[in-house]
Amino acid sequence: MSVFEILRSAMRGLTANKLRSILTLLGVMIGVASVILLLAVGNGSAQTVQNAISNLGTNTITVRPSNGGGGGGGAQASSSTSTSTSVKTITTRVSDQLASAGLGHVKEVVPQVTTSLTISSTTTSSDNVSVIGSTAGYFDVSTTKVASGSAFTQADVTTSAKVAVIGSTLATTLYPTGSALGQQISVDGTPFTVVGILATQSSAGFNDPNNVVIAPLTRVQKSYTGYGAVSTLTVEATDSDSVSAAEGEVGVMLNQLLGVTDTTNLPYTITNQSSLLETAAASATSFTVLLGAVAAISLLVGGIGVTNVMLVTVTERTREIGIRKALGATRGAILGQFLAEAATLTLIGGILGVVAALIGSRYQINGTQPVIIGYSIPLALGVSIAIGVFFGVYPAARAAAMRPIQALRAI
Amino acid sequence: MSIATQAETVAADSAPPLVLRLDGIHQVYGAGEAAVFALRGIDLAVASGDYLAIMGPSGSGKSTLMNLLGCLDIASEGIYELAGHNVSELTEKELAKVRNREIGFVFQSFNLVPRMSALANVELPLSYGGVRRIERRRRAMEALDMVGLVDRADHQPQELSGGQQQRVAIARALVTSPTLVLADEPTGNLDSASTEEILSIFDHLAGQGRTIVIITHEEHVAQRAHRVLTISDGLIVADRFNEGIAR
Repeated sequence: MSVFEILRSAMRGLTANKLRSILTLLGVMIGVASVILLLAVGNGSAQTVQNAISNLGTNTITVRPSNGGGGGGGAQASSSTSTSTSVKTITTRVSDQLASAGLGHVKEVVPQVTTSLTISSTTTSSDNVSVIGSTAGYFDVSTTKVASGSAFTQADVTTSAKVAVIGSTLATTLYPTGSALGQQISVDGTPFTVVGILATQSSAGFNDPNNVVIAPLTRVQKSYTGYGAVSTLTVEATDSDSVSAAEGEVGVMLNQLLGVTDTTNLPYTITNQSSLLETAAASATSFTVLLGAVAAISLLVGGIGVTNVMLVTVTERTREIGIRKALGATRGAILGQFLAEAATLTLIGGILGVVAALIGSRYQINGTQPVIIGYSIPLALGVSIAIGVFFGVYPAARAAAMRPIQALRAI
Repeated sequence: MSIATQAETVAADSAPPLVLRLDGIHQVYGAGEAAVFALRGIDLAVASGDYLAIMGPSGSGKSTLMNLLGCLDIASEGIYELAGHNVSELTEKELAKVRNREIGFVFQSFNLVPRMSALANVELPLSYGGVRRIERRRRAMEALDMVGLVDRADHQPQELSGGQQQRVAIARALVTSPTLVLADEPTGNLDSASTEEILSIFDHLAGQGRTIVIITHEEHVAQRAHRVLTISDGLIVADRFNEGIAR
């Protein structure tokens, strides 16, 4: 018999009890769809995290004061130019020294202080806007670009000019109708001129990265944070291959500058984006594997459903098996017939599952846009057919092994 | 001289080749004290073109004999030769092939495969025999034509009357041109009109020189055969040729 005829005969067997076939098919379909879809959700969330991290730039390293060691964040730093500890904190002075130390793999050192303030225009105001004080280099190391207007210059930093570059969300909040560019904003009472507006950036966390004010470091320190510790040093390596080397150089130099003697208790932590990326990728992978495992279980349950139905079918059709054997069907022919039915059932279920997954992946699931992993479709389809064959073998073998006279005697 | 050798002598006289030969066939089910001796030494020879009826009361062993003749079961003892094959020595696969090529079954309860058209049912033995699709269709239509059911080719079994179903079953039995047509109480489930229809088909087939073995407990069915074998308690107790029916 040709493949086409075997399939047609299998379809005839399956349509004999439509409801039962459809329910079994549903089990396989749900299994396949959930494998593809849950892998896609895992993949989608992994990609979101990776995009957010690569937005930060991959050839930069970040130095932050650690909690156990040096001073706290920039906001509290106004009161803490502490000399009571032997270890110094990272101040702009340290930052300047680091920048001028002539480290071979370091291109630029950008200090940042951050605080959170109320920003207002003549008509509206916005609370808890993060205010970043930095140098002109900030716009080099950050992947956030100025969309309209321009960044402030090193001269603005030197003169502590009252100029600001603001995020797109803040711009719309303060000036909903016209452009915020060139307008005055009040940062905790001090008037600033908006010289630039940032391009809209995708959100990586809980804070809206577009609700931000970036102003010259000197001005922010003078008016708000004081001249204490900076909250972050962003160090740009000469290229992405030099990130590790730059990290080493910065570590050694900081230890000198800060007078660190106990290297087990550093007053700062250094992170680089690629290690962050690796960590994120690893956690995303385990997340995906977990989701896949859950889905695989549902596929397994679907497969057991196939076995159950095939066993019932074989019992019901014992007499038919007897007739076929009397007409000269070999064991192989009977085995093939029932295997073909099981495989057809799971193949159709698998295809419907793929379709369902493709449709489902068009919608966001819990805030994550699923991204279908290419190999998951043939994988899930293949596994579903394999399950059909694997779980169909036992019932089919039982059918094939029946002795014709016994099978014929069945009612 | 035994009954079987008498039959052999008769067969040898008219010289048609033997289709099947049973020699000392015993069939025992179970073992020890619970053993049931269904057949206790059957010797039988059937020549080509024979129309043989096997009669006997229930429990006489005629169904057991039918299963052996149809290669659905293997005898516990004795030799069974069918169309030159020693059946007891065949493997499972070879048995399937013998059932396909050498035997055409007609059952009491028709045994058509449900949800398959009459044509597909008739084609079934051919597809197991590996006959190509077009050839299969042609031969199946020929067989249906022989039983006068070409116009019912697309009907499913449940859409046919009992007599029609049995005619489809006969077409299915004939389609492979088997050495032996084996019918087990073919008229047992039919009314008298359908019975007559079926029996006249068998008469016609016998006239064409087909070898037919029919198992029945009805005297009027056995009367149509050329030769009637009576078995009782697993032994052949009578083997006679019907008077007045020309071979």
